Amino acid sequence: MAGADPGVTRHVAIAGNPNCGKSTIFNALTGLRQKVGNYPGVTVEKKTGRFFGSHGEPMELLDLPGSYSLQVRSPDEAVARDVLLGRLPGTPRPDVIICVVDASNLERNLYLVAQMLELQIPVVVALNMVDVAEKNGAVIDLMALREKLGVPVIPTVATKGGGFIELRQAVSRSPLPPPPVCAQMPIVLEREVMALAKQLPVAPEVARGEALLLLTLHDEALDAITQHDRTIIDATRSAQQRLTASGIDPLSAPVDARYDWIGQVCAAALHKGGAHDATSISDQLDGWLTHRIWGWVAFVGMMALMFFCIFTVAQYPMDWIDAAKTALANWTKAHVPAGDLQSLLADGIIGGVGGVVIFLPQILILFFFLGILEDTGYMARAAFIMDRLMSKVGLHGKSFVPLLSSFACAIPGIMATRTIENRKDRLVTILVAPLMSCSARLPVYVVMIALMLPAASAWEQSGIMLAMYLTGLIAAFVMAWIFKKTLLRGDTPMLLLEMPPYRLPSWRGIAQRMWERGLLFLRRAGTVILALSIVLWALLTFPKPTHSDATPSEALSHSIGGRMGHAIEPLIAPLGYDWKIGIGLVGSFAAREVFVSTMGQVYNIEDADETSEPLREQMRAEKRADGTAVFTPLVCLGLMVFYVLAMQCISTVAIVRRETNSWFWPLFQIAYMTGLAWIGAFVVYQGGRLLGFQ
Amino acid sequence: MNPLLDQLAVAAMVCGAVAFFIVRFLRKRAAGKSCAGGCGCGTSKAAKPGRP
Repeated sequence: MAGADPGVTRHVAIAGNPNCGKSTIFNALTGLRQKVGNYPGVTVEKKTGRFFGSHGEPMELLDLPGSYSLQVRSPDEAVARDVLLGRLPGTPRPDVIICVVDASNLERNLYLVAQMLELQIPVVVALNMVDVAEKNGAVIDLMALREKLGVPVIPTVATKGGGFIELRQAVSRSPLPPPPVCAQMPIVLEREVMALAKQLPVAPEVARGEALLLLTLHDEALDAITQHDRTIIDATRSAQQRLTASGIDPLSAPVDARYDWIGQVCAAALHKGGAHDATSISDQLDGWLTHRIWGWVAFVGMMALMFFCIFTVAQYPMDWIDAAKTALANWTKAHVPAGDLQSLLADGIIGGVGGVVIFLPQILILFFFLGILEDTGYMARAAFIMDRLMSKVGLHGKSFVPLLSSFACAIPGIMATRTIENRKDRLVTILVAPLMSCSARLPVYVVMIALMLPAASAWEQSGIMLAMYLTGLIAAFVMAWIFKKTLLRGDTPMLLLEMPPYRLPSWRGIAQRMWERGLLFLRRAGTVILALSIVLWALLTFPKPTHSDATPSEALSHSIGGRMGHAIEPLIAPLGYDWKIGIGLVGSFAAREVFVSTMGQVYNIEDADETSEPLREQMRAEKRADGTAVFTPLVCLGLMVFYVLAMQCISTVAIVRRETNSWFWPLFQIAYMTGLAWIGAFVVYQGGRLLGFQ
Repeated sequence: MNPLLDQLAVAAMVCGAVAFFIVRFLRKRAAGKSCAGGCGCGTSKAAKPGRP
């Protein structure tokens, strides 16, 4: 079994219900020896890590997505099921399952245990949160539980590191016997299960579990199955019909059998005591935090704090990164002789990669807050509060965090959509998230507002800025509503949430998550973004003008990027833009903020940024062939609207590709957002002219 | 710097960047199924899930 890595002696999977402490146990056992990726073909995160048994033997630990049962409702649960059944290519079927059970909620958690025991894989039960169960007044008879389950049961307190030594010893035990079958199915059902199992083209040890799962599927789910031939599906339907004829409901009989068994286990091993303080404190807090007025106050306060930190605290490390980027670029210019190589290194690579890495502090702070919100259990409450508003446009309450995060940067926002179980809701959220005005749009807004209203007060400028943010927000809600009615049609999902009790966050776990996210982000910056920066630099540099004394503007005009600016001129002329703005649009396709520096190149202004006065003056003085100004208030407003609505961020495209596992969605997103941006700018420019504005 | 060396270094880096995308694309195509994680798992359509 331990096939993939020759050093690994066992493949161990950690399974359990959501919020039972799986990831805390996984982090504690593996430390920083973790790898984060995706399962092939789906966008469910795959976390594996190396840990060592009680005799130092290396084992691979796989953190399975949380699931309530093997009858799946979400892509996450489907992955957990497929791994356990050995269906997933590239992921070996585990040799041992650590089934984490929330001791404070034993009855509900035992359902998944019952299904695990049916899979014929050795199981070790980690009875987690025994301290919370004790506080709640529950007394669990460990000996009775071990006897009833027939597998090792190790009490743990994951947040305090309790029970991990015993857990390692239990997993290291060799050989681990397969578990006994606990929930007794009706004889007729068991006969049909065994008959179907014999026909399945799968390993014998998986066959019974697979057959039992097949028999409990309803018609639609059977039709959707792709991993079996039609003969198997037909055999399943025939078996279901025979069972129904003999008075047994194939869908509910196994469920009833498991609950009967759970009842027996709990009767023997669980003794409930009196009142429990922990729940009552949680209930009291919920009284405030989900209150229809105070709940909103607390929610807005928390979000304000999060964004305050993202915009202000992150500014210091961002400035340091920016200074380091500038210093590195200057050092390169000082040590590499002037020429293409210097330009590529300083402007292309350091400028391009540095322009993306600069967002790392914001991403880390965002994930720090998300970690706290998740660990404390507040995230479920926030989703509950927001659900009413989001459901108006057909979105899920859980969509609000990704959308909110996208005000800082769409990349962490899109990554945060992983918490949304429903695929269509997740896709809609991903599609509209980049419409939120991220911080990269600010330089464009600042320049355009200054050009549009040079004598405007700070309040007037802030008002226009706010209007741009609102335009993006409204566009996101309208587009979400349209997508939910057309392309990704589906019912407005009912919010089914488990409200976990409030807990103190695990700081170590949060730090580990920040480390993982930061590492993933930097790996991307060092590979895809680096390669893209080089390609973009080449597009804006080659071919070079034939005469050597050409100005940077002429050189840019001569480049492929410049020619593309000329080529798109007929398309952008109805928006009031000339070919020079076209170059700005092409140059900033990879990153919006590049628009300002590209315009600086076009107008021969050295080191142009959003505060550069010479650039503004040059742009203000720019005239068309007929002598009229290029950057009229309408053109400036149209450009801002264009940047509110256009994709113009290659990093977001790459992350959408990664998260949706297909090129269709990012390409569709580019197309619809560019179309929307064009229409928006067209309406502003032409509509404004019709109304007599300039 | 020798202009030829300068041009060669630039050409090598640009070709390297383009090759990076081509290799990524070909690797995924050869794997037969797009794997999102960039984990190099080599997922193959030929592998029948659940088969021993």
